[in-house]
Amino acid sequence: MSNRIMTHMVAWFPNREASLDVARGLIDGGSSFLEIQFPFSDPTADGRYIQEACKTALDKGFTVSRGFDLIREIRALSGLPLFIMCYANTVFVHGIQPFLRRCKTAGVGGVIVPDLPVDYDEGLFSLCEQNGMQAVPVISPQTAERRLSLILSNKMEYVYATLRKGITGSYTAVQEAQLLFLRRVGSYGKKILAGFGISERGQVEAIAPYVHAAVVGTCFVKAVLEDGNDDLYTTIRRKTASLI
Amino acid sequence: MDERYHDFFGDFGGRYVAEVLRPALDELQSEWMKAMKCREFMTELKTLSNQFTGRPTPLMFAENATRVLGGAKVYIKLEGLSNTGAHKINNALGQALLARRMGKRRIIAETGAGQHGVAAASVCAMLGLECTVYMGEADIRRQRPNVFWMELYGATVIPVAGKGATLKEAVNEALRDWAGSFEDTHYLLGSALGPSPYPDMVREFQSVIGREVQREIERRNLDVEALVACVGGGSNAIGFFSPFLESESPRLIGVEAGGRGTGAGEHASRMGGEGRRGIVHGYKSLFLLDEDGQVRPTHSISAGLDYPGIGPQLAWLGIRGRVEFTKATDDEALDAVRFFAKNEGLLFALEPAHAGAAAMQIARAVSPKKCVIVNMSGRGEKDLFILARAFDGGKWKEFLHSEAQDVQ
Repeated sequence: MSNRIMTHMVAWFPNREASLDVARGLIDGGSSFLEIQFPFSDPTADGRYIQEACKTALDKGFTVSRGFDLIREIRALSGLPLFIMCYANTVFVHGIQPFLRRCKTAGVGGVIVPDLPVDYDEGLFSLCEQNGMQAVPVISPQTAERRLSLILSNKMEYVYATLRKGITGSYTAVQEAQLLFLRRVGSYGKKILAGFGISERGQVEAIAPYVHAAVVGTCFVKAVLEDGNDDLYTTIRRKTASLI
Repeated sequence: MDERYHDFFGDFGGRYVAEVLRPALDELQSEWMKAMKCREFMTELKTLSNQFTGRPTPLMFAENATRVLGGAKVYIKLEGLSNTGAHKINNALGQALLARRMGKRRIIAETGAGQHGVAAASVCAMLGLECTVYMGEADIRRQRPNVFWMELYGATVIPVAGKGATLKEAVNEALRDWAGSFEDTHYLLGSALGPSPYPDMVREFQSVIGREVQREIERRNLDVEALVACVGGGSNAIGFFSPFLESESPRLIGVEAGGRGTGAGEHASRMGGEGRRGIVHGYKSLFLLDEDGQVRPTHSISAGLDYPGIGPQLAWLGIRGRVEFTKATDDEALDAVRFFAKNEGLLFALEPAHAGAAAMQIARAVSPKKCVIVNMSGRGEKDLFILARAFDGGKWKEFLHSEAQDVQ
């Protein structure tokens, strides 16, 4: 059986060229979706590995324009659906409409902005709908039923379900509670991307029946930080393949 | 809808947080609004404000300063005489009582200068709540005495790593903690900013400053030209200004940190034209950002004024013109500390010393029939190391050496 996974990377981490190697590794390793994070100075939903990656990327000279340049190169490598993950300020400061236009031109299919929830979204969800883009709402197991139906009442295709409370990074044991949550979300008929603390094949397989794709993020950032042999492409490709 | 709850001020404010924190903020909003209407809660808050915090704080006529400056009469609200040495305890007490009412057993807080952390730690000790305070490494270095006090009160102080880590980084870390702990933990945010309902709630708990001043103005029949307060996030200013926001007078003046220059990273002045609209830490306001939307580094000699954003209500009041903004530099603040120490026997903390510096200028330019009221939001003992180094380099250095030798 082959699992569908959405893999995550931070643009310009550990630097521009090497982040392109990471992208190649993720694609050739068998990812079904790529989630590319645009680094922000204050990533409050992220644990220490992604924080460090964002900081490094910014130190190396990441800017939003350079991020889109990188994405155009990644786009040329494969036809995988690409999503940008970023924080509200990045989209807001550039203007939601202009930002989405650049996404579209660069071949990005959707955006994930956790701190622009549906009722404080600065128009993100309706503008995405008008532009034929996906805005992916991020929900948590604590999200109440009434709120969930509000969040999922629009025409967006996807929903990003975090498997636990807290921030990215630490391991999530997939237990009955997680599966119950995914079943609850499943009743809304959206394509579920589920993640937070997923780094092993066993976890990916455990949630596979309930989701469209498992999201795997921090473990690749960790792999880059720990990679000693300078062959990032191979390290990342193998890690990706091991999950599928 | 309760008139105390706005959510937005113009288009500033809001609740821009990841869904994981949404239930906690929704609950906080409704429980806070219930508490404000609950007689028992308000009675306990008032009793403890009197007996524990030391309210009301005095409004002092600064006769010597007035004479030396030769303009308007200078009055000083001695908010720094509160228990723990700053206005921060008004909000800490209110929120901690609310947290206990909500059944939370643990409090987390961020702190810059350490005054909010000390207030939170003290209140938690008194109410029997567990307390964890996040503080940037750079702030721990420059406000070391406050770390010691927090730990003495039984709080755990967690250093937030990173070169130049200050209040902004401490807020980041507190938000990360809360995203995983909100079920049994209340985030006791220290300034009138962050996602709603914090800007409204913190203003209400701090508005006791303004109400007391208003009563004294009426009782003494003062003709007030201006109220002057320093603005980091802005909690002392918004509390001080609160009863006067809907009227046209007196002038309300917010003083930002002018730091050591006007270049990027040399100050923390957001209302002087450098602030850009942004969404950071869960609210929309004016922030110091680069062209790409990354939050810029800031500088101020006072750890309590170097936050890159400003509370959404103050930003909006600034744009509307109801609150005027000015700034004072590091050196002007040091001069003001010296001025009020020598002339009035008052030790201003470095933060309100910025307001003191601006008030000195304003007073000079105004008729002696009028008065200017400055909020001394905190007292300056915490700044001993910074002040002694600035004012008395040689002898202080000698003392530190001999003290260090003694310890060894």
